[in-house]
Amino acid sequence: MNFDDLKNEWNAENPEGSNISTDMLKIKQAHTPIDKIRAKMKHEFFYQLFFLGFMALIPHFFGFSTTVNRVYLITYAITCGFTAYYFFKFYVFYKNSYDMSMDTRKNILWFYYEMKLNIELYKALTYIVAFISVGFLAAYLFIEKAWFFTSILGKLSPVYILLNCFITILIIGAITELWAWFYYGKYLKQVKKVIDELDNE
Amino acid sequence: MKEAENIFLNLINQHKGIIHKISKMYMKDAEEQRDLFQEIVLQLWKAYPTFKGNSKFTTWMYRVCLNTALIYFKKDNRKVDKAPLDENIDIMDVNENEGKEEKLAYLYTAVQELNAIEKALIFLFLENQSHRDIAENLGISEVNARVKLNRTKEKLQFIIKKNGYEF
Repeated sequence: MNFDDLKNEWNAENPEGSNISTDMLKIKQAHTPIDKIRAKMKHEFFYQLFFLGFMALIPHFFGFSTTVNRVYLITYAITCGFTAYYFFKFYVFYKNSYDMSMDTRKNILWFYYEMKLNIELYKALTYIVAFISVGFLAAYLFIEKAWFFTSILGKLSPVYILLNCFITILIIGAITELWAWFYYGKYLKQVKKVIDELDNE
Repeated sequence: MKEAENIFLNLINQHKGIIHKISKMYMKDAEEQRDLFQEIVLQLWKAYPTFKGNSKFTTWMYRVCLNTALIYFKKDNRKVDKAPLDENIDIMDVNENEGKEEKLAYLYTAVQELNAIEKALIFLFLENQSHRDIAENLGISEVNARVKLNRTKEKLQFIIKKNGYEF
């Protein structure tokens, strides 16, 4: 195989076709992994808004006592605070532009760590919201079903209670990790593959 | 803005062969090639303000095109926003090419078996880039670029031979 001949033919090839027009510059949606993650996060933002709106109505549906209502309000305020903080971070990520004219290594590493950072932020928010919900549920049971809760707790050994807490945390962790991987993992995996190919000596 | 757009379109139309070739190297299916072509044009336009004219336009273009192809994620479905002229982008199919440019047709088929970085190496080599230029574009050392390119050429020869073609 003669690569010089091949090179000559390659350089002689002049693919014809219609000219690129302004219409092609007007497409808004790009398809880099970062753009895909940003689009999904944008959707999640609206789901989260809907979820917070729904959460605001929960006390009306369940007719909580005054004490539970106060606990719920604190829980709700904390959830809103954390959500606002994380979505502000996501918004900054959303608005942050990228520079495709860097060399390949810099470009790929930028994409990889930017994606990784935002997926970690996403997981952190999910953990926080999940633990706040579990915390509220525990508080609700202590206040509203105190007799039931104390009688149950009295019968259980501390080891069993600790084990249950541990398993609950583990389940929340596993669901969060799996969900994040299912939702965003494939993009990260693709970019990581290119980094490995570049680093492969 | 309109003036910048016109200058950009003029430049890009002069060198659209680069985009065509990269699309054909990175995607096998004609429709996917069109999608990648469109994505590259979009990324070039988005990145155009970063082109300061310190280097040749093609040097800057190689980087943006390759970086886009390397991280491009195939569209999940075909119902995505497309420019109306998208269907008119002629990305010649390997079979159409046969006869006219048989060697290149076999080359495009063979490179589908290379990984993303190997495709970039072969592309830059065929575009007459020196080892130094290849190293600078990919962000690796010159020695590494030389070693990787030699290995990729051997691999490509093997694939072409394996497919029953020799040139």
